[in-house]
Amino acid sequence: MISLRNVGKAFPNGVVALRDVDLEISKGEFAFLVGPSGAGKSTLLRLLFREDVPTTGVVSVNGHDVGRMRRRQIPFLRRQIGVVFQDFRLLPQRTVTENIAFALRVVEVHPKEIKRRVAQVLDLVGLPDRAGALPGQLSGGEQQRVALARAMVGRPLVLLADEPTGNLDPVNAAEMMKTLLEINRLGTTVVMATHAAHLVDRARQRVVAMVDGQIRRDELAASYSEGVVE
Amino acid sequence: MRLRTWSFCLSEANQNLLRNPVLAIASITTTAVSLLVLGMFLLLTANVNQITSNIENQVAVRAFFKQSTKTAQEQSALAEVRKWPKVRSAKIITRQEALRQLKSEFGDQASVLNSLGTANPLEDSLSVTAKSPADVAPLAKSLGNLTGVVKVSYQSQVVTRLFSLINAIRIVGLGIGILLLLGALLVINNAIRLGIVSRRREIAIMRLVGATESLVHWPFILEGLILGLIGSVLAAVIAWWGYAALYTGAAHSLPFVPLVTPIPTARDVAVLIVVLGVLLGAVGFRLSVRRLARV
Ligand SMILES: Nc1ncnc2c1ncn2[C@@H]1O[C@H](COP(=O)(O)OP(=O)(O)O)[C@@H](O)[C@H]1O
Ligand SMILES: [Mg+2]
Repeated sequence: MISLRNVGKAFPNGVVALRDVDLEISKGEFAFLVGPSGAGKSTLLRLLFREDVPTTGVVSVNGHDVGRMRRRQIPFLRRQIGVVFQDFRLLPQRTVTENIAFALRVVEVHPKEIKRRVAQVLDLVGLPDRAGALPGQLSGGEQQRVALARAMVGRPLVLLADEPTGNLDPVNAAEMMKTLLEINRLGTTVVMATHAAHLVDRARQRVVAMVDGQIRRDELAASYSEGVVE
Repeated sequence: MRLRTWSFCLSEANQNLLRNPVLAIASITTTAVSLLVLGMFLLLTANVNQITSNIENQVAVRAFFKQSTKTAQEQSALAEVRKWPKVRSAKIITRQEALRQLKSEFGDQASVLNSLGTANPLEDSLSVTAKSPADVAPLAKSLGNLTGVVKVSYQSQVVTRLFSLINAIRIVGLGIGILLLLGALLVINNAIRLGIVSRRREIAIMRLVGATESLVHWPFILEGLILGLIGSVLAAVIAWWGYAALYTGAAHSLPFVPLVTPIPTARDVAVLIVVLGVLLGAVGFRLSVRRLARV
């Protein structure tokens, strides 16, 4: 589903964010991307949905060479990928339903189908009773659920989550984590960059640990730190 | 795109306009004013052209023959002059015709000419009109070189002054019109840019969830077109109605100055104004494409 081969990323200012990264993530897998701030987690995720291009190497998602694909194809790649960020990125003037429906309206899904899918996805994230609220009237946890619903409403093959619990209190963070694992269980490949050691430790999933733009460790059913045994 | 997507783009464009009403009004006003000035200049030019072509038809160069010139010689001179490229028309005015004209011009006072008795002091002449006012002077020179011609006369000062006045009006009018048009373009462009900045969150999300670039662009294209259209329709209506009113008024008070008729001239100018307004909106958008790419 996702593959990086010899991927390097250097920014114009000389900062090298990724060096010689090799990574394979299969369809239906769940992978944590962990490591200190500045390790290159966000940069790696950005390469996957073509928010940025690698300086060297090949990034491929669902068989597409993402780094070299034509500009016109980018929207179609992104329709196969859902993304959530630490800062939610909701539209403040639109209601929960409108925020979620927005993602389908702009890819020209039929209104009837939009209605059906929005209801489904609100159920999935556990927010059916807040459909008419504005983002400003919601808690952080609820806002992140709306963002997750928006990412999932297009039924993506891959869900990328960049520190999705970074702005949430522990209770909401745990809830969010549960929902992400549930989404993965339903078949979506999930890659989650995070600092939250306790969440990683409890989930017992694959952990890809990065330091200084390089992959240091890649273990199945692992914990946040190396050599921790429960 | 589907119809509902067009309506989505249109409502996004409208939201932009409503969110920045001051700039929207400024865009519409500058567009209307600049196009109105341009339209007035075009109507003025159309009228000046009509009036000058009337005058040009009246301004004739007269080449007078020696009294002793034979009719055959005058006829061959006429045939030659008619072949010259600068000549619109040429005819011979005999001394008898000239006297008759003179008498009719004197009207009531024609009796003063009675003292002449049967004598006619006038000469036969060639009356020649040029194709353009610029041709008058060189034509007069060529006519002076014809055999048998003793004197050439034309109203040179009137013609040249008129000619330079028309040119000045054209250049100044066109200059002001273009400057105002550039101003309008700048304001429309700014309105669109402000729209882009205030909608940058929305644009980022559209791109994130896989909207095509054309869908990202259309709300702003429509915004430009709406601004250009409203401004230009205002200008077109004012220009057309205003000119029609002027025309009716002038027909009463200045019947001897024949203005060009509102249809087709003012109507065509109105259509041109709207076309230019829409173009202005489109170019205003085109200039912000790079800004849109950097959001
Ligand atoms: N647009 C950019 N220009 C220059 N340097 C950048 C840019 N984005 C990220 N970086 C740098 O790349 C490195 C990796 O950043 P990032 O991928 O955001 O790390 P992480 O998400 O693991 O905290 C950091 O040193 C960061 O400063
Ligand atoms: Mg990061």
